[in-house]
Amino acid sequence: MLTVIVATVSVSLLYFVLPGMTEAQTEKTFVTHSGAVIKTTGDVLDPVYTPQTVEFDPAKYLREFNYGRISKLDDGRTLREFTIIAEDDKIMEISPGVFYNVWTFNGTVPGPTIRATEGDVVRVKFFNNGLKSHTMHFHGIHPAEMDGVFETVGPGGQFTYEFEAGPVGVHPYHCHMMPLEEHISHGLYGVYIVDPKEGRSPADEMVMVLNGFDTDFDTENNFYAANSIPFYYQHHPIQINKDQLIRVYVVNMVEFDPINNLHLHGNLYYYYPTGTDTVPSTFTDMITLSQTERGIMEFKYNYTGKYLFHAHKVEFSEKGWIGIFLVKDSEAKVE
Amino acid sequence: MKNMEVKNTSKAKLVASGVIPFVFLVAMIAYIFGPGSDLIDLGVSLPEITIEKVEFLDSEIVVTIRNTGRIPVDVVMADVNDRIQPAAIEPDKYLERFETAVVRIPFLWNVAEPYLIGITTDDGTRFEKEVEAAAPSLEPSLELAGFFAIIGTYVGIIPVMIGLLWLPFIKRISKSKYHFFLALTASLLLFLGIDATEEALEVSKETLANSFNGVLLVATVVLLSFLALYYAGERLVQNASLSRMTKPVAVALMISIGIGLHNFGEGLAIGAAIGLGQVALSTFLIVGFAIHNTTEGIAIASPLAKGKPMIRLLAVLGLLAGAPAIFGAWVGGFVYSPFTAIIFLSIGAGAIFQVIVILIRWLQDEGDKKLSSAAVVSGLAVGMLVMYLTSILI
Repeated sequence: MLTVIVATVSVSLLYFVLPGMTEAQTEKTFVTHSGAVIKTTGDVLDPVYTPQTVEFDPAKYLREFNYGRISKLDDGRTLREFTIIAEDDKIMEISPGVFYNVWTFNGTVPGPTIRATEGDVVRVKFFNNGLKSHTMHFHGIHPAEMDGVFETVGPGGQFTYEFEAGPVGVHPYHCHMMPLEEHISHGLYGVYIVDPKEGRSPADEMVMVLNGFDTDFDTENNFYAANSIPFYYQHHPIQINKDQLIRVYVVNMVEFDPINNLHLHGNLYYYYPTGTDTVPSTFTDMITLSQTERGIMEFKYNYTGKYLFHAHKVEFSEKGWIGIFLVKDSEAKVE
Repeated sequence: MKNMEVKNTSKAKLVASGVIPFVFLVAMIAYIFGPGSDLIDLGVSLPEITIEKVEFLDSEIVVTIRNTGRIPVDVVMADVNDRIQPAAIEPDKYLERFETAVVRIPFLWNVAEPYLIGITTDDGTRFEKEVEAAAPSLEPSLELAGFFAIIGTYVGIIPVMIGLLWLPFIKRISKSKYHFFLALTASLLLFLGIDATEEALEVSKETLANSFNGVLLVATVVLLSFLALYYAGERLVQNASLSRMTKPVAVALMISIGIGLHNFGEGLAIGAAIGLGQVALSTFLIVGFAIHNTTEGIAIASPLAKGKPMIRLLAVLGLLAGAPAIFGAWVGGFVYSPFTAIIFLSIGAGAIFQVIVILIRWLQDEGDKKLSSAAVVSGLAVGMLVMYLTSILI
């Protein structure tokens, strides 16, 4: 009888003590704003300082330019053909653990960056694989029937957009179905760059779409970012070289909030509104952008180190629109 | 023998007739919810998180949350004033229905500033709760327990004792004036009962998730408390003649138990107000309750007026009515949860209503069958008025 009791007690003791011990071993940590290290026996909820992987890779998107399938037309112009597929049933992890129904061009938000040279013929074969009607509306100069507004493309339908690339600059493209705010805020947008014929000076080029997600549909964004994923470039700093020209194509696609902005630390940039002029309009570290307002920023860093860039509308930066440039001292700089 | 058989079959019939509908009910529920049944798989179940408690510790905000929706959820993010914060959730981020978890948000908060705490679930839905003014959470300590005991004494015991001092006065007055005081007591109590019910409803509306059916919870607890005390009280008064207790003493005892339960609720309110950092409010609460509660002493004294004065009995009754304020302050200050607050407030309300019934009966037994004498009517009216006016102080 006594042995039975002793056995029961010791087994139950083990039962209660052991999980406690294993828990102590799996204790996790995270860092606070002030740098304090906090321990927890539970789960860490930290999209801010704890790097985590989500489906979409903003690092890849940053410097990925699509020039299309290139061929020559009889009149000597260059033809660039693109295929864009719209979908609206995808659930994407847009911040660690947060799953949202994104509507996409070619499966990502933002859609692929389309790049052409002024005077090229751009031909976009558009397929709508969604459950709703969608279109593609390019900002720029083109015939009315290529504007993607009245030519609704229903589910399963297709349409070919064809126009001459122009004017020079950085432009958005987006779905123009009504209700427009819904189609844009779910993610149907991307960047369209038109290069001047003579080209621009060599630079480390990148694209930043300033966007947000209203995940609880209260017409206020819950998350903001440069290139969709909140805090991504804070966890994965953008590596650039000292003394090298950096050129950023910035497009503001934030819905609901009337403005957005971009502030660069430890430096100023030459700003080319819409990228249509070769002369910068200003030399500054802070530009305010309204909906679909965009431009080109050019700068060089004279010192190495980590430099923040973020919305100086601080609410946006504290909800994810913040990143870091890591300036490295590199021998192998591009001339 | 034959008679017996008939009796048996009729008994079996009785049982069968009781069980058969029940069997059908079980079968129907099994059909609807059973495996492979998608009959009621309609609509979308939305997640719901209720933020039950927000505590401000040393450079950390600790938030107690509960999954009050119909589906399990993952909690993925915390924010303060709609700004995303690094945080931890213990024991883990996955919450079953009705499961609770603690979210720890390291945050250098400022005293007396308002804060909006937000919790986001895996589908991106954000739930929030506003704290009007941040104040450090109370750490249970002997010193603080003593402090609460003193406040409870001021609010509960002393005012009730002062009220009891009116006993000699009530003793000397005429029968109709005595009826006036009994009626006054009844309406004082009616006011307190309504007050407690209102408070319980308010707490349930502000902090309790819809899934707990706050109003029905209050109604159920009030009624159960009323019935339990009513039953116990009737037995007590009936047996009073057998024991040494006289009927007036039994009635006074019931009143002090009812008031005691009510004062527990008051202590709860004071403790919680201090705990939540509404210090100015709690000073008002203390002064208000003290004046307010003097009237409770009158309520206990009234039925005893025509009997022999017993100092020790009065002291016991006074303690019974007043001391629960101390326990209430402890609970409210140290282990406040809206759910227990609602339960205690409702029990108090039910107890009060039960005492009113006893008092009305008492008045009828004393001769005023229709409760329409000038003394009774004016007593009821004055009671409500006095309570209303003193309640403005709170």
